[in-house]
Amino acid sequence: MTAAELVVDGLGMQFEGLTALADVTLRVPPGEIHGLIGPNGAGKTTFFNCLTGFYRPTSGAIYLSGQRIDGLPPHVITGLGIARTFQNIRLFANMTVLENVLVGEHQHIAVGGTDILSTRRPTYPPIVERLLVLRGFPRAALNGIIEIAGAVARPPRVRAAEAAAVDRARELLAAVGLRGRENDLARNLPYGDQRRLEIARALGTRPALLLLDEPTAGMNPQEASSMVGLIRRIRDEFATTVILIEHQMRVVMGVCESITVLDYGRKIAEGPPAAIQRNPTVIEAYLGTRAIQGGGHAAP
Amino acid sequence: MPDRVSRLPSTPTDLLRFRWPIFIALCCLIPFVVSDVWVQMLVFVGLFVILGLGLNVVVGFAGLLDLGYVAFFAAGAYTMGLLTSPGSPIDAHLSFWLILPLGILIASLVGLLLGLPVLPLRGDYLAIVTLGFGEIIRLFLINRDDLTRGSQGLSAIPRPELFGYEIDSFTRWYYFIIAAAVAVAFCTARLRDSRIGRAWEAIREDEDVAAAMGVNTTKYKLLAFATGAAIGGLGGVIYASFIGFISPAAFSLQVSIDVLAIVIIGGMGSTPGVIVGSLILIGVPRILQFRETSDLLANFGWLRDALNALLGAIDAVLPGSIGRLPAAETWGARLADDTRFIIFGALLVLVMVLRPSGLWPSSRRRLEFAHDEPPAPVNAP
Repeated sequence: MTAAELVVDGLGMQFEGLTALADVTLRVPPGEIHGLIGPNGAGKTTFFNCLTGFYRPTSGAIYLSGQRIDGLPPHVITGLGIARTFQNIRLFANMTVLENVLVGEHQHIAVGGTDILSTRRPTYPPIVERLLVLRGFPRAALNGIIEIAGAVARPPRVRAAEAAAVDRARELLAAVGLRGRENDLARNLPYGDQRRLEIARALGTRPALLLLDEPTAGMNPQEASSMVGLIRRIRDEFATTVILIEHQMRVVMGVCESITVLDYGRKIAEGPPAAIQRNPTVIEAYLGTRAIQGGGHAAP
Repeated sequence: MPDRVSRLPSTPTDLLRFRWPIFIALCCLIPFVVSDVWVQMLVFVGLFVILGLGLNVVVGFAGLLDLGYVAFFAAGAYTMGLLTSPGSPIDAHLSFWLILPLGILIASLVGLLLGLPVLPLRGDYLAIVTLGFGEIIRLFLINRDDLTRGSQGLSAIPRPELFGYEIDSFTRWYYFIIAAAVAVAFCTARLRDSRIGRAWEAIREDEDVAAAMGVNTTKYKLLAFATGAAIGGLGGVIYASFIGFISPAAFSLQVSIDVLAIVIIGGMGSTPGVIVGSLILIGVPRILQFRETSDLLANFGWLRDALNALLGAIDAVLPGSIGRLPAAETWGARLADDTRFIIFGALLVLVMVLRPSGLWPSSRRRLEFAHDEPPAPVNAP
């Protein structure tokens, strides 16, 4: 897949009385590494959750390479090319490292039956939409039967698909530096490797846009700088656009080509790292004068 | 997939590779060395192995707690009963081999019927709804007596014929049930090691993340319900034909609990675990009721006398507080009947405390419950 362009137009997310996101407009060109920063509770993760279909935005629109995706279910959005990692690592802890990546490859293992990947955006009230699902039911049931039959009989085509998926999973694991850990349980990996595995699993979905939620959280400076190298390499080798949420300023300023700053759910600034560092609104809202002068987030 | 094999703790020797064929061959020899009652007992064990394997798909693989599994068993059994029993209003004299796929189909449709409304539910809520669903099916069978003949049940359900032989003796049933169980075990093992199995496991681990990785969670949860239900339906068709008589009383909540206990005590997601669980929970109570067992227990009259003397002594101190033990030869039957559930409960608690992964866990679960070993200390040179 080639890197995708992301356009977000007036995105709003309202939880009861709480406005998590308000009128966020953003354009990330294909192949850019884009930083998303802001104080805790600024709405960064909510923004990711809207992009991936975990939340249905209450206003605005999201376009991935021109196609409108807000309101689509998560697995469909993943199929269209958005993959993500999680702030609090959420691996399939009791599955092996290899199997974690294989789950990421789920939609790319041909097994006869295809998933219902209706990319139609819902236009009716939820209850009606749920009934409309039944329309596709006969086809889905047939696909299910074909998939089960394929898994049980395991014809050459299914074996080949499985073998190819395993090969690709091994490649991805090698790319993030997890060669040799394929058969370990995910939960037995050290912390930094778990973050790498999350990235490999996300790459398994063949993303055109990769969302990384604090990829260096809890890492020491050395690990963080190796993660920066990895993120650059991923963008180049796998041809993806990358958006990362990050708190370590050294990382943000080092890897991002452009940065968006959120505060209280609103976009307060956007621009290249150097401009953001000098932006008075950002300094006031988030970084604080001393942090900027220190050049790192742990400045005294 | 070679990776699953290489995770097994021991090196795969030839014996290990052929463990299933050897086990099945040994099972096939059993009728030559034991009497008919034992074979009959083993037919029941085999039937519950099939049911256990089916529930294993729902509970063990996909992690969906289903307390109404008996509904699918009943759906299969009543498909067979209604279409073949002379007492049924829609008796069609169909052959067993026609009804087998039909029963499986109807049971899986019942599975989807249950699956659709419970899709958004998780954990405890799912358990409660499935529990209710099982009861609804049973009450439906009792109350729609114009169709099902209610509590009177359906009788004279015919037996299957295979290559011109009627499957009528316990030994023939035994081989039949072994064939069915092997087929089901093969199918579930293949499913587990496929893309479907991984999707189920991912849903069990973290449903939201599974969706974010592109797994259509709606589809795979429904597939789990339908697959589990289909296997339950298969068990039901076989059961109805084997017993020859079905009534709603046979499809009580107790069956759901028995099957779930088999899966949990044996080890979730594990095929050998289901076999061990069925032997203990279904086989042992029946063995206790055998004539041979009571003959054996009759030798323990002295133990009863001794214990009764002890009880008498206690009674002398606290008059009227306790009774006396019954005749030793009835102990087995008493144990299997009255106290069975106390023993079941105690066994469940014991297994959960001592072996939380079950008596014979899958290699996967064994890994999951293994304590992380601390890294070996590095000796300074």
